[in-house]
Amino acid sequence: MEDVAFRAPASPGQSRGEARTGGEAALRGKIAIWWFLASEIMLFGGLITSFVLARLGGAAGTHEPLNVTVAAVNTFVLLTSSYTMVEAFAAAEHGNRPGMRFFLAVTVLAGLGFLGLKVYEYSGEIAHGFTPGRGGFWSFYYTMTGLHALHVLIGVVVNSALLVMAGAAIRRPYRVELAGLYWHFVDIVWIFLFPLLYLT
Amino acid sequence: MITRRYLFVWIWLLALMTLSLFMGVAPVARHAAVTLMFTVAAIKTVLVAVHFMHLKIEPWLIYAIALVPVAMVVGFMFTLFPDFVFVR
Repeated sequence: MEDVAFRAPASPGQSRGEARTGGEAALRGKIAIWWFLASEIMLFGGLITSFVLARLGGAAGTHEPLNVTVAAVNTFVLLTSSYTMVEAFAAAEHGNRPGMRFFLAVTVLAGLGFLGLKVYEYSGEIAHGFTPGRGGFWSFYYTMTGLHALHVLIGVVVNSALLVMAGAAIRRPYRVELAGLYWHFVDIVWIFLFPLLYLT
Repeated sequence: MITRRYLFVWIWLLALMTLSLFMGVAPVARHAAVTLMFTVAAIKTVLVAVHFMHLKIEPWLIYAIALVPVAMVVGFMFTLFPDFVFVR
């Protein structure tokens, strides 16, 4: 099918992105969400930078191996949810309400699946005595993954609200895009946390 | 209803994820493996940002809002390297 996100023509003085998503209100919302994401980049960037510096400087200490299999499944789940989220927006743009609802529902389920696996992972680690007080690595681990999980939970709530209010979302598809921008950011954070915590 | 471009990006993301996992167990030098893992993470980030977040078609203002904090974080990190990493 055609991909309007890459085809929409722009009128004079209007960017293609602006033309695609429905004018001034959409652009205002987009600038607002990007400002918010900029603050989030500083938040997670600060944490990740601190961890990298502590790790390279030897302050984070050594740690027992984490459950890479569960984390890999979670990575697959989040990457897939990013794909379904952008498909939900594409469906909303086309006025395809069933399609938008389907992809939003899959995104919400993927988010819940991610959180369920994270709870399973945490419970195993805590049962083995790897609590936040165990050392520098575990403090960073629980802070970064916990904060990320909180963001996933917020994304699940927002996407669920869009799913419930599908009628309003289909009339204003840019709302799905704004929620998607947040969701993709959460995915990007995990793209860095996964190798940082589990593979190195 | 599937958008072919998004589907291709998703397949690429999964392929890159598999490459990262492989590098975690591959019999190569640790530094090389870590460097490749984070290069792969950067490529995945660009794919998500450009295609899924539509940065490809956004105005310069959105680019500025997105890239300035990234540059600041990377800059701060390298600024602190001498105090934390190169101290022996």
